[in-house]
Amino acid sequence: MERVAIERKVLSENDRIAQALREQFARCGTLVLNCISSPGSGKTSLLERTLQGFSPETRVAVVTGDIQTDNDARRLARFGFPVRQITTAGACHLDARMVEKSLDGWDLGRLDLLLIENVGNLVCPTSYDLGEESKIVILSVTEGDDKPLKYPGAFAKSRLMVLNKIDLLPYVPFDMEAARRNARSIHPDIEIIETSCTAGNGLDSWRQWIAERMRLAAGSPSHA
Amino acid sequence: MHEMGIASSVIEAVRVEVTRHPGARASKVGLRLGEWAGVDVESLRFCLEVLVKGTELEPLALEIDFRPQGSELDIAYLELED
Repeated sequence: MERVAIERKVLSENDRIAQALREQFARCGTLVLNCISSPGSGKTSLLERTLQGFSPETRVAVVTGDIQTDNDARRLARFGFPVRQITTAGACHLDARMVEKSLDGWDLGRLDLLLIENVGNLVCPTSYDLGEESKIVILSVTEGDDKPLKYPGAFAKSRLMVLNKIDLLPYVPFDMEAARRNARSIHPDIEIIETSCTAGNGLDSWRQWIAERMRLAAGSPSHA
Repeated sequence: MHEMGIASSVIEAVRVEVTRHPGARASKVGLRLGEWAGVDVESLRFCLEVLVKGTELEPLALEIDFRPQGSELDIAYLELED
């Protein structure tokens, strides 16, 4: 019997493409955010409110992933910014190659912000690097406040947790403090913003957060 | 849900390695799997079993080095026999 060391990442091909994308985004000064959540947490609503708040000259584009339909792309296209749908036809996550293909024909040098809406799923998308600057996990108060403990990968790898649908807090037994505590037990430095896309709470903080990351991305040393 | 894709990548890497060792057959593959890698261990075992069944790789033992609070998803080693 002979044992040979392989020492190779299972997703090495995905990681290679993601790294090339990350370098390209950094060169172009494009901030790329990968939004991850369960189905129905409000990813599309959050992106709608985000786009709605931008002035028409903002250089932003969206790539949205779903297993079927282009409903989300149609919802998001109403705001006049470039939007592309990736239909994964069964796959439960976006991978770097899908993102690379979806960018075809877009001049990244003319984009300051690319928002990626992943397929609704808190597990599989965490395995696939898309070349993003940050992952953002969205948790809504109609879910369990223990979700960070049940799906630790998504919370461990995200820079920011958006606690969404807070206008519904009077109607659901969701403990905000427990949700914050659970998220921080997995990822002590995770940033947290509380929002309601229907009532408008917290959207200013969310926009300021994006603006700050955009400033950092545009001013990063690798930005030629 | 995506464990079948992960399992396919593992099998592909095993086949590539086996071709580098003419006359040998793969007996065991060792993976390193972090708690936060987003991969279900039992589902991955099942998918690998299904993919190996009836092929030249059967039987292929699987050893998983599970890493709490880790994000690893690596093929660590392959055991070959003549």
